[in-house]
Amino acid sequence: MKRTYSIAIILVILGMVFGITLALKPAQAAEPIIIKVGSPTPLSGPAGPWGQIGIPPSQTWLDLFNKEGFKVGNKTYNFQLINVDDMNTPEGGAAAAKKLIYEDKVKFIVSHWSWNFPSVSAVANQAKVIYLCRTGNEAVPGGVYDPKKQPYTVFANPSHEQFISDIFAIAEAFPNYKRIGINDSTLGKGIGWDYVDRELDKAKIRYHHEWYPPGTQDFAPYITRYNEAGCDIIYGAGDVMAAMLITKQRWEMGFKTWRTGTSGGILDPMMYIGVSGMEASQGFMGQYFANWDFKKTKVDPKKIKRCQEVMEIVSKKQGKPYTYTAWIGWFPHHIEILTQAMQKAGTVDDPDAIMKAIRGGTFDTTIGKFTMSGAKTYGSPIVFGTPGCMSQIKGNKEVYLSEHPLTNLP
Amino acid sequence: MPPAGIWIDGLIQSCIYMTMAFGMVLVFSILGILNWAHGQFYMFGAIVVYYTITAWGIPFPISILISGLLMAGLGISVRKLVIDRVKGDLYVGVATISLIFFFEGAASMLFGMQDRGLSTVLPGVINLASFSISYQKVAVLFFTLVVLVAMYIVLNFTKVGLAIRATAQQPDAASLYGVSVGRLSLIVMGIGCGLAAMAGSIMAPVYAVNPFMGRIPMIMSLLAIVIGGIGSLTGAIAGGLMLGFLNSVIAYYLSYLSEVVLFLLVIFILLVRPQGLFGASLK
Repeated sequence: MKRTYSIAIILVILGMVFGITLALKPAQAAEPIIIKVGSPTPLSGPAGPWGQIGIPPSQTWLDLFNKEGFKVGNKTYNFQLINVDDMNTPEGGAAAAKKLIYEDKVKFIVSHWSWNFPSVSAVANQAKVIYLCRTGNEAVPGGVYDPKKQPYTVFANPSHEQFISDIFAIAEAFPNYKRIGINDSTLGKGIGWDYVDRELDKAKIRYHHEWYPPGTQDFAPYITRYNEAGCDIIYGAGDVMAAMLITKQRWEMGFKTWRTGTSGGILDPMMYIGVSGMEASQGFMGQYFANWDFKKTKVDPKKIKRCQEVMEIVSKKQGKPYTYTAWIGWFPHHIEILTQAMQKAGTVDDPDAIMKAIRGGTFDTTIGKFTMSGAKTYGSPIVFGTPGCMSQIKGNKEVYLSEHPLTNLP
Repeated sequence: MPPAGIWIDGLIQSCIYMTMAFGMVLVFSILGILNWAHGQFYMFGAIVVYYTITAWGIPFPISILISGLLMAGLGISVRKLVIDRVKGDLYVGVATISLIFFFEGAASMLFGMQDRGLSTVLPGVINLASFSISYQKVAVLFFTLVVLVAMYIVLNFTKVGLAIRATAQQPDAASLYGVSVGRLSLIVMGIGCGLAAMAGSIMAPVYAVNPFMGRIPMIMSLLAIVIGGIGSLTGAIAGGLMLGFLNSVIAYYLSYLSEVVLFLLVIFILLVRPQGLFGASLK
């Protein structure tokens, strides 16, 4: 009997010790909940390089972002990025959007810059999936954008507006310019350019437009026309091959003092030097998203630090300096908008509540703090600003040139 | 009147269209088919030259020859492995169209899709009175002259050339005279593809190199042979010459509408003289 009591007491004491130990052990943190985001991007075809180059830094940035994660309510979330090839075609865009939404079950579509916006938007809005992209012909006055039909579309990157900002930045960098020659392939011809022209006219910018058939490699006729129009700066709408060939050919034709450039980030200065030649490509201009170099737009130092860390990591992985900066203004910028919108709305699941938080909201992202234009402007009620920063090639590097932040959309 | 630079530019374009069109017509004359993947041999020629120069430091003229020979070999392989095994002109056309996408896809995987250049090859310009011309473009003129002279000599003063001309006119009769038509068609396929490759090689420093660079030259050389007359070697040269100048001059006056006007011109020629300017009358 005595022995039985002794064993029982020992067991109770052991049980109490065990229970106290368990109670004192800190509760294991819950795993972050994954939110899938899809990115239709050209991974094949002529536009493939521009889609592919953005993937390593975007994923690296996301890995760093996910280390902290973000909270909505008392839950922690991480994002998972899924890239699908949209082939830069309307059919490819629609197919990519359908795959992302219905097979991969993404909650949002982000970072979309291909010109097949309408097809992706149609699929996303039908499924009530919030879609962050750039503006295009559809978002300008007279365009096809209809906020009632596309209530889940966010123009997180201005396109024509940014081009206008680029031109302003160039004019400010070279106040004694004669005339700016603007070029685009006929694929880009649309009402968006009428809108650009109106804004440039309002600002009394001297310019001259040229269009060329897609695939053109010989620009001598166009360069001659630019010369006859009195141009001394040639700026393209984003066709990198055209810009490189214009840069080369204008040099060979004797117009060595002309400046050239194109909308969009400079992929790699050595690519331009390889095609155009070292001398000809000096001063070549492009959009610059190196937030550590911004002089007029303030960016949260923590966000700058993370972007620089990404550049270092990607450079190390690929074994050579990674110089492309446009990715900073796309994927991480969109994720920041989504994160802050979900936190403001207090939900990750209600797209209407999240959209309400986005419209007219102010967001602090990798390219600065801007307010979404809540008022109905250009037929598009939501457009984010842009730092409007330009760079140029100097030697074999890309350096800061000028800045004209687009804070207030006209 | 367009400035001198536009005419020079037109001449450079003519050179490439002539070379490409000549190769296409040569193949058509013997094989009776249009090789729709002709532009992709142009593309491969540029890519081969890119690598021979940047990776192995082989001088440019030798690189051009290497690319011509390699692509001649590829052309012969295409003839034996694809064209010979497909029955019917329509299906041969489909097969060579499929090759366009296959070759572009393969080049994209091996070369990558980013534009690359050979700006360091023959850098510099010659400054003339009112315009400049790059050494690279002077090389194009020189190359075209050499090719045309070489082809003239081959076709008119060699046994192979005689056999080609005989087979093009009367394949059955040529065969009776001991010409191995099958073997000749392989040689001609090789020459045609080799010419396209060398055209791409000589243009590699002038333009940018990428897997899709063969599409426009292919379309333009097709227009050139339609203008000149399908089946006529003289027509190919004349058509290429006309097309290069027209493209440059019309673009100077009408900008992007140059393509519209060029294709309207082709339709007009087809309506008025369907055999082209130098082709035999169709009856």
